[in-house]
Amino acid sequence: MKEFIEYLTRQIDAGRADIAGLEEEGRQDDADFAKVRTNIYEVCRTVTNALAARPNAGAGAVKAQLERFRTAWQAALDKAREHGDARNVVVEETKLTALADVIAHFPEAEE
Amino acid sequence: MTQENALRIFKSLSDTSRLRIVRALTQGDMYTELLAERLDLTPSTVSFHMKKLEEAGLVISRKEQYYTVYSLDRSLLEQPLFDVAAAEPEQTDEQQKREDEYRRKVIDSFFEYGKLRAIPVQRKKKLICYEVIAERFVPGRVYSEQEVNEIIAPIHEDHCTIRRDMIGEGILKRNGSEYVRVR
Repeated sequence: MKEFIEYLTRQIDAGRADIAGLEEEGRQDDADFAKVRTNIYEVCRTVTNALAARPNAGAGAVKAQLERFRTAWQAALDKAREHGDARNVVVEETKLTALADVIAHFPEAEE
Repeated sequence: MTQENALRIFKSLSDTSRLRIVRALTQGDMYTELLAERLDLTPSTVSFHMKKLEEAGLVISRKEQYYTVYSLDRSLLEQPLFDVAAAEPEQTDEQQKREDEYRRKVIDSFFEYGKLRAIPVQRKKKLICYEVIAERFVPGRVYSEQEVNEIIAPIHEDHCTIRRDMIGEGILKRNGSEYVRVR
């Protein structure tokens, strides 16, 4: 789990650099979406740190929480698409893409 | 052209990604996926930026089979910058403008995709929300209680409270089992 946390931290650092770069380029809306993406890595790191250390929780509880996020955000994306809400479509897609990346890097052996 | 339109144009162009989209469109009409590929953005991000450019009147979209094709509205872009910058503000009552702004904020915070998130506690906000709900009723038309409930229930689960409140606030009028929108 230590490597996973380190991976999330690297993504957060890279995300912060992206945000700064996009703001520097005058791409404020894209920078806002990069903030959303970075925030997902932060949320996942917080969840992992909190649940992984808890007795009777561990990696299984972290994975279950990530799956709950996926269900909720997919529903939010469907809703945004249904209502033609262009901003929220990008926000929810960004969240789901980051989450898929997080899940793909989740340590399988520790599940 | 009003100052409000000018502001929308400047705001939409004060973003490098949107300026890049406009620059790409100067070479010809393009569809979302092609713009996304050229500008290294996701299609949904391009759609988001296109919506802002469309709202500013800078871009026009049309459907071609499965694609949405965008083109520049050259009549607007070819206007002298001097004329855009010198546009006069729309003549509106300042008090009315503030009230409209407040109303819009209340609606944005209490409604999501046409559903009421919660019944506001503050009466002023509650009235605004009920006026929005009232728009679903045709003024003067007589509704049964079931019809009233069927209109309100998809907006908020506590349709009984809302129905009673709307009567109390004089938005709906009850006559026996019949309801009429009076405001």
